[in-house]
Amino acid sequence: MYSKTVTLVNPQGFHMRPASLFVAEVGKFSAPVKIVAKGNEIPGNSLMAIMAAGIKCGDEIEVKAEGEDEQAAVEAIVAFVESGMGD
Amino acid sequence: METLEGINASAGIGIGHVLVVEEPTLEYESRTVSDTEAEKQRFHAAIDGYVAYTQAQADQMAEQVGPKEAEILTGHIVMIADPYMQGEMEKLIDGGTCAEDALSQICDNFAAMFEATGDELTMQRATDIRDVKGGVLAELLNKRPVDISLVPQGTVLVTHDLTPSMTASIRPGTVVGIVTETGGMTSHSAILARAMEIPAVLSVENACKALADGVQVVVDGGRGTVTVEPDPDVLSAAQKESDRLAARQEELKRFVGCRTVTADGTRVELFANIGKPEDATQAMERDAEGVGLFRTEFLFMDSTSMPSEDEQFEAYKKAALICKGKPIIIRTLDIGGDKDIPYMGFEHEDNPFMGFRAVRYCLAREDVYRIQLRALLRASAFGDIRIMVPLVTCVDEMTAVRDLISRYMAEFDNEGVAYNKDIQIGAMIETPAAALMADELAKVCDFFSIGTNDLTGYTMACDRGNDRVRYLYSTYNPAVLRSIRNVITAGNEAGILVGMCGEAAANPLLIPLWVAFGLGEYSVNAASVLATRAAINRWSLDEAKAFAERIMELSTAAAVYEELKKIEEE
Repeated sequence: MYSKTVTLVNPQGFHMRPASLFVAEVGKFSAPVKIVAKGNEIPGNSLMAIMAAGIKCGDEIEVKAEGEDEQAAVEAIVAFVESGMGD
Repeated sequence: METLEGINASAGIGIGHVLVVEEPTLEYESRTVSDTEAEKQRFHAAIDGYVAYTQAQADQMAEQVGPKEAEILTGHIVMIADPYMQGEMEKLIDGGTCAEDALSQICDNFAAMFEATGDELTMQRATDIRDVKGGVLAELLNKRPVDISLVPQGTVLVTHDLTPSMTASIRPGTVVGIVTETGGMTSHSAILARAMEIPAVLSVENACKALADGVQVVVDGGRGTVTVEPDPDVLSAAQKESDRLAARQEELKRFVGCRTVTADGTRVELFANIGKPEDATQAMERDAEGVGLFRTEFLFMDSTSMPSEDEQFEAYKKAALICKGKPIIIRTLDIGGDKDIPYMGFEHEDNPFMGFRAVRYCLAREDVYRIQLRALLRASAFGDIRIMVPLVTCVDEMTAVRDLISRYMAEFDNEGVAYNKDIQIGAMIETPAAALMADELAKVCDFFSIGTNDLTGYTMACDRGNDRVRYLYSTYNPAVLRSIRNVITAGNEAGILVGMCGEAAANPLLIPLWVAFGLGEYSVNAASVLATRAAINRWSLDEAKAFAERIMELSTAAAVYEELKKIEEE
């Protein structure tokens, strides 16, 4: 298992557009990815679950993956979140 | 034979047979399933069917209405495709729950979670997930809505409310009339019907129940009546009227490509009103000489976040390029607490039409206004863009807007960005205060455009949407006419162009008054351009002035209307 913590920078939080791009990014890797936010574990491939979590700008999230490409997955996804996910 | 009455929302006569399109009721009985594998197959088949149907709708929508509208539908596909959510539904089915219940429970859970986030954007998505639930349920229950693209020629659509997805499916020539149970002159349904030039009568009580499939009706969109099973003489009269209208349309063709002049040769300008950049194409096709009102609200209403300077610039530039150098008057954001745009931070107000809206909001929120004004300035390098400020009530508002624009021009000079240094900046005259102060306002405006809809409402202090006081809402009212005359006179004395962009600009009964007052520019719906040109052409300045003198001596709206009507019939 590999994990890293990152802060959400999107001014309007994890809404539909960034969430769907996030899910697409997760789909590039074979290792299942999870997000931990406010103590809840959320499947990283679920747009709906991510939106339902109501993650806001400035919230810290932990990205974790377990599997063959876990490190590459977490690094890439964290970099993607830091980049603002297209917002 | 029976006649139903409603609102005359889109003129024309449609003779055809009724097709009632009702939203299907999605009731079902919960069951326990034993063959869970078969139930899961049924579940996935329904999702596949829903996705295919929605994608087809989105494609049609993109083509016939616009890509932004289509995005709402493709968003629904993205939602239902969520593997985790589908997995949760499957788990329930594995436990013996039927597909309908599994779908409903999980969708309702997500909708509730979305609503509990307290975040406006996410909360709005709860509506989307309910739409998705309804769509997949309709598939499971085999109750997919009627496909309007397949209706035969000569269909009169009868429905509770005309939705954008229905509109997207209408093929030209098949639907000859529209009857709805809700909506008014300015509703979504009315605007769409007029844009498609389909006769429409709206707000007909119980239309879906009163009209049965296959029954012959005459839809008179000019009068606002629906005649059920017409007698032979009524039918032949309707046919005659329909032919007459077609002939009139034909006759108007001789005004295509002509300048707009009064009978004695005074030149005026005839523009069109548009709501989206794409609409400019239709306006040009209908021979408008420019755009007199481009409402920019769509950019903000269709978006989930504040449109950026670049996004706005692209939209304004697109419209300017379509107009090929012809004038295009763009109205800056005209919005307030009556519209729900979560990201704009409007608070609930008890009286939004008198509240924090339009230029008042923009001047208080320079961060928002700056983006729009800079986008407009940049786009002005690509055409004759003019900036119109809505809901002006005092001179200082215009000076404040002009100061902002000068400041942004200086920014562009530093950045080396191109814009039109002589861009015209004008006021929309739609408040009694602005009408009274027109002479002073003319000193700080390059043009006026009279918004007769709001000017009528604010002058008469009545809400046209309120049935109890709607009788007061009339542009024929002498108070409104005097106000309009005052504005035109003040503008003309100051040597600035005075236009009109409300519905009254295209009203043939009122056109002689506008000619007499000296109105310089008429901005009308694209579909009314030729008829307005013909109506202006009927009047010489002297005739119109003599006529207006008589009218302006009258003291009631009813007397004005009677007198105008008499002339029309002569």
